[in-house]
Order: sequence, then C-alpha cells, then structure tokens
Amino acid sequence: MDNAIALSNVSKAFGKFRAVDDLSLNVPRGAMFGLLGPNGAGKTTTIRMIMNITAPDSGEIRILGQPMDRQMQNRIGYLPEERGLYRKMKVIDHLYFLAAIKEVGREEARQRISGWLDKMELRPWLNKKVDELSKGMQQKIQFIATIVHDPDILILDEPFSGLDPINVALMREYFLEFRGRGKTIIFCTHVLEQAEKLCDEITLMARSKKILSGSMKELKRRYSQDLLRIAMDASLEEVRTLPGVADAKAVDGTFVVGLVPGTDRREFLRRTLDRFRIDAFSQKEPELEEIYIDAVRSAGIEERTIE
Amino acid sequence: MNWRKTFAVVRREYVERVRTKSFWVATLLIPILFLGYVAIQIAISKKTGGERQIVVIDMTGKLYAPLVKELADVEAKQKANASGTKGPHWNLVERPAGADLAATKEDLRKQVLAKKINGYLILDPAKLEKDEVEYYSTTVSDFIALNQLQSATGRIWMRQKMAARGLPTDLAKEIETRMDLKPFKVTEKGIAEEKGAGIIAALVLLVLMYSTFFMYGYQVMRGTIEEKSSRIVEIIVASVRPTELMLGKIIGIGLVGLTQYFVWSLVAMNMSLPAIAPLLSSSELGIPHLPVSMLGYFMLFFLLGYFLYASVYTMIAAPFNTDQEAQQLAMIPMILIIGGIAVYPAVMNDPSGGAALFFSLFPFTASLIMFLRTAVSEPPAWQILLSIGIMLATTAALAWFAGRIYRVGILMYGKKPTIPEIIRWARYSPGKAPQPAVKAG
Repeated sequence: MDNAIALSNVSKAFGKFRAVDDLSLNVPRGAMFGLLGPNGAGKTTTIRMIMNITAPDSGEIRILGQPMDRQMQNRIGYLPEERGLYRKMKVIDHLYFLAAIKEVGREEARQRISGWLDKMELRPWLNKKVDELSKGMQQKIQFIATIVHDPDILILDEPFSGLDPINVALMREYFLEFRGRGKTIIFCTHVLEQAEKLCDEITLMARSKKILSGSMKELKRRYSQDLLRIAMDASLEEVRTLPGVADAKAVDGTFVVGLVPGTDRREFLRRTLDRFRIDAFSQKEPELEEIYIDAVRSAGIEERTIE
Repeated sequence: MNWRKTFAVVRREYVERVRTKSFWVATLLIPILFLGYVAIQIAISKKTGGERQIVVIDMTGKLYAPLVKELADVEAKQKANASGTKGPHWNLVERPAGADLAATKEDLRKQVLAKKINGYLILDPAKLEKDEVEYYSTTVSDFIALNQLQSATGRIWMRQKMAARGLPTDLAKEIETRMDLKPFKVTEKGIAEEKGAGIIAALVLLVLMYSTFFMYGYQVMRGTIEEKSSRIVEIIVASVRPTELMLGKIIGIGLVGLTQYFVWSLVAMNMSLPAIAPLLSSSELGIPHLPVSMLGYFMLFFLLGYFLYASVYTMIAAPFNTDQEAQQLAMIPMILIIGGIAVYPAVMNDPSGGAALFFSLFPFTASLIMFLRTAVSEPPAWQILLSIGIMLATTAALAWFAGRIYRVGILMYGKKPTIPEIIRWARYSPGKAPQPAVKAG
C-alpha cells in the first residue's frame, strides 16, 4: 500500500505518563486524514514525532516510504497548534525567513510568496510589521509559511482555532485545492464536526491509544446499523426500558434510539408495536460524535476531556 | 548541523537587530556621551579654580603670612605653565581665635552655611605638633584644591620647624623635594615609558567589554523567551534543529556586538572631530593610542566571554515564558559578570599575583581579567593559553547543557518549571524529551 505516513507500534512516554501507547496508523497518499480525539489524547505528541521534533521511545515512523530524516522535514508543511510569528518583523521578511529555513531558494520563494499574497489579498500589508496585522491575517501568513516550500504532506493541528467563519471557509477551500493536487493532508482536531465535513479517513485517539480507524463512509455504515429514529407515543423513560435499547434520547419530538449491538431490528420493532403506536421510523446515519462516544465506551475508556 | 538553515537564523537575528533604530541610537549615542564626558572632564580640570574665600584662625601667630605667600607662589607657578591642572585662587582673611574658640567656630560655621565664606582653616599648635590642621567647608571633595592647601600648609610648617631649630630657611627650600616617579614598563620587547594612557585605555575597554556582556547576553535571553512567548518556536523547530536555532541566535547577536564595536572604532579613528580635538591633544587625558595587541586581545577575550555568557543566558531563558520568570535566575550571570569587574583593582595592584592568576583562570571572570592582565602586564603564554582553554571547555560544557535544556524547554508552555525539573530535562536522552505543552481545555 502506498502510504504517505506509516506509524507502526509507536510509543512515547514522558516519565511515568504514556503520551502515545502502541499507536499504528497509515495515512494513504492523497488522503484528507483526520487525527481526532479530545485534548490530551496524544495527537500533538504523535504529530511532533512525525515531524521529528521529538523522537519515539519505540516503534517506527516512515514518511513517503522512508524513515524520517532532516531532508524529509522539508517535504512536510506543519501548522502547529501553538503558533505565532515574530511580532516585530515585516511580513515580507518573515515569509522569506520561513522559506529560507525550509531551504527554498530566494527566487523560488519570491514567486510562491507573491502568488499567495495576491490570492489572500495581503499585498498591501507586505511592509507592515506582523504586530500591525489582525489575528486572521496573521493566521493567513502562518498558512503561507506552512506551504511556501510546496510540501507533499500538510499537517494541520487545529487549523481553524481562532478563525472567523469567513476565514474558516477560505482555509477549507485552500485545503481542498491542495488535496486536489494529489497532496496528503493530516488534519488534527478535537472538534468532530469539522473533521466530519472534511475528512475521508480518520483515526480516533483517546487516552494515548487508537480506539477507532477507517474511512468515514465505512464507519458510518458500520455504526448506522444500530441507530434508529422513531416517532412514537411513549415517554423517554418508556423507550429506554424497552428490551434491546442501549441508549435513547429525545430529539425534535422523536427519539434517537441506539440498539444493543446484535439486536434484530425487525424483532425490536415488532415488540415495540405491540405496546405503542409508531408514527414514523427511519434508520439514522450516525454523527461522528456518536461513533466516537460509542467507540470510547466499548474500548472501556472513561471519556475525559482533560488529561 | 545544517549550516544553510543555521545561516538563515544568523541572518535573521543580525538583520532584524541592526535594522532597529534603538541599535543605531545606542551605537552612536554611547561614543558621543563618552566623548562629551571626557571633554567636560578636561575642560573642568583646566579651568578649576574659581576663588576660595577662606578664614584662617592662626593660633600660632606665625603661619598666616607665609601661607598667603606660599599659595600666591603656587598660583603664579601654575599660571606660567600653560597645560596642567590649575588650582583655585585663594582669598585668605585672618581672624583671631578670640576668647572663646568654640564661639568663633560657631560663628564661622554660620558664615559658611550662609555662603559668605567657602571655609575656615584652624592652625592650632597642639594639632600642628601632630602634623594636623583642620579645614571646615561645605565641600571637602575638591581634591585639587584640598591637595594644594595641604601641601602649602605642610611646607610652611616644615620651614617653621626648621627655623625653630635655627636652620636657615633657604636650606629648607633646598631640601624640599617632590619626587617625580617615572614608571617604565619592562616587556619582552624592551622598555617603554608608561604614561598611564595605556592603562586608561585598558580600563575603558574593560568597562566596554563588561557592559557588552550584559547587553548582548541579555538580548540572547530576551530573544529566546520571545520565541516562546510569541509561540513561533514550534514553527521554527519543525524546520531547524534546536541546536541550530540556539547557535544561530548566539552567533547572530554576537555579530551585532562586533558591528557595534566596528562602528565605535571608526568613530575613534576619526577622533579629530574639530570641537574636541584641540582639547584632547593638549591634555594628558587625550585619547590614548591603542596598541594593536591590546585590540587583538580585546576581540579574543570578548568573543570567548560572550559565547560563555550567551550559553548561560540561553540556559536561563529556555525554561521560561516571560522575562519576569527568568529574572530571578538572570541574577546569576549578572553577579558573575559584576564579580569580574569588581576584582579588577586587586588585579591592577598585582597583575602577576595569586589573585590575578586565579581570576584570570576562573572561567566566569577570565575574559575580563585575563584581558586586563595582558593590557597592564605580560602574563606568561602558558597562563593565557590555559585561560583560553578553560574558557573554551567551560563554554562547550555549558552549551551542551544549555542545548539539552533548550531542546526541551522551548516546547514547554504552562506553569513555571522548578529547578529540579529543569535539571531532570537535561538528563533526558535526545529521544526522550518530556511531555511538551500540557494543555488545559
């Protein structure tokens, strides 16, 4: 299989704390890959290992089929979650500097930077200091810096945090365009709705471990089996006590019912019809969040957002 | 080590600093202030003077007249000599002690405070027997004037004693000698008359080196902290190794320092600025001619000391997110640097003594003190080489340690780490950086 990034059995501990525990994952070339999970799940540590900022204690990381080395660093564009710029530098000097540390020649850098400045309508700000720019503009500069060396792989850690909706839409467009050119994107976030809209492959992490991975379509199909939307004349309490129901909630006058895995749906409906009137019923496509919660539960991990 | 990337960092650190207005203001203002200070000093020393209104209570009844004459003679001699320092013009008035000396003194004290007179001198035989005279004034720090008064009273008192023994006064004049000690510095190359200018130059350079350690060491610290507080550091280390970033920063800022020195030496070479030149050339305090060897040693020991202290400052900066947090530890290099300048008088007194040797080998004072020793004496070559060796070894060890702390520290946000934690970081193997950026949320 042709993978842009492949991790096999990678672990990383900080003292007694295991930040990443026996993680294996494959990012296919050309994928929009979501690395998801709550804060403290080990996403940033994983990315730092991919970026060769910290080294794994054990396991192997291969980038574009080769072990990570310094040359490889130049083929990845990385937008960290903790990001900023030198405040006193002029925009144009800053961009040249960030290109230079990726070993992009001056002329090449000039052309690329020029193209992006026009595209993002930043040209009037060229000779301003970073200080004088709005937060959104600074984010744009950071994005240009991430791709100025025309990387094959783009790693974006919470790329939308702090952006207004217009810029979120704009950024998403750039990401899609980037992928359209056959490049690979790893998108790292704890906001599942964002990932749901963008990603075609995901890996879910919780408490340092991978708990779920696969293509978005396949996951949704797999999990939709157990999820029903029913409109009926019963109380939520009554629905919850029906045999075969794992969980239920009331949504807009209907109930979203999660069945115990392996429950026969027809059998369940027949038994329910004996007791209540059913007005409508449909199979519900699960949201990523529901898949996630389910996966966390079945992995036997208490869901926690703070490590 | 990727030099292309390191160079990009060096270039950024250098260009961004040299471009700032504050750099040029400091670079140009310091020599101007310095020259202005020298010029004022010279002007003051030439003009000294003015008048001193003094009341003399001569309880011997024999010394007042000779004192007036003696001071007038001194003034006449000074006037004849165009260059050289000049004392004040003394206006003496005699006043009897009166019945109650205490009351007279009290009255004079009031006159001094009312600024009617500058001071009063009491020639008391009892005190004179012990070779003492008392002088009362609001200012007792004008050394040139006090010195004159002291030697004048000394001379007349000596003559008085000789006359009392029946010796002729012209004999007194003959045996009165003020010995002029002419120092000659013996070096390997020969013997040279030491006029003091070389020593003044060495001290000026010493102060310069001392203050640039502070200035540029502090900039290394600020720069490192700024990268963390502005959150750019992770973007950088995704392309540049922490070691390269650290080294690039230290070299870049060091070059800024050299640039400043370069500008200063240009200014010094063009010292014939019309306004000051006449003042300087006619004075013993004139800008001394700097021997090439002194400048060579200066550059050498500046660079050695700078790299040493830059490593210390990097080490201090890496764990922290704000200048305030680092401030406490920044006291350490500060005390060490001040220590270097504080021991210099001892070294001047005995440049080949035990203390001088110790401080010129102790790595944190070595750059300042070994430079001073090479300027005022000729330390043996083995001592110079040993000092350089110790500094290089210390710098290598510090840079290694700083690099390890830096590597971990630059990715640490959140709470301020404790010293034991910081030391633990250094023990992590390169593959085992501890948990970066514990996030809340």
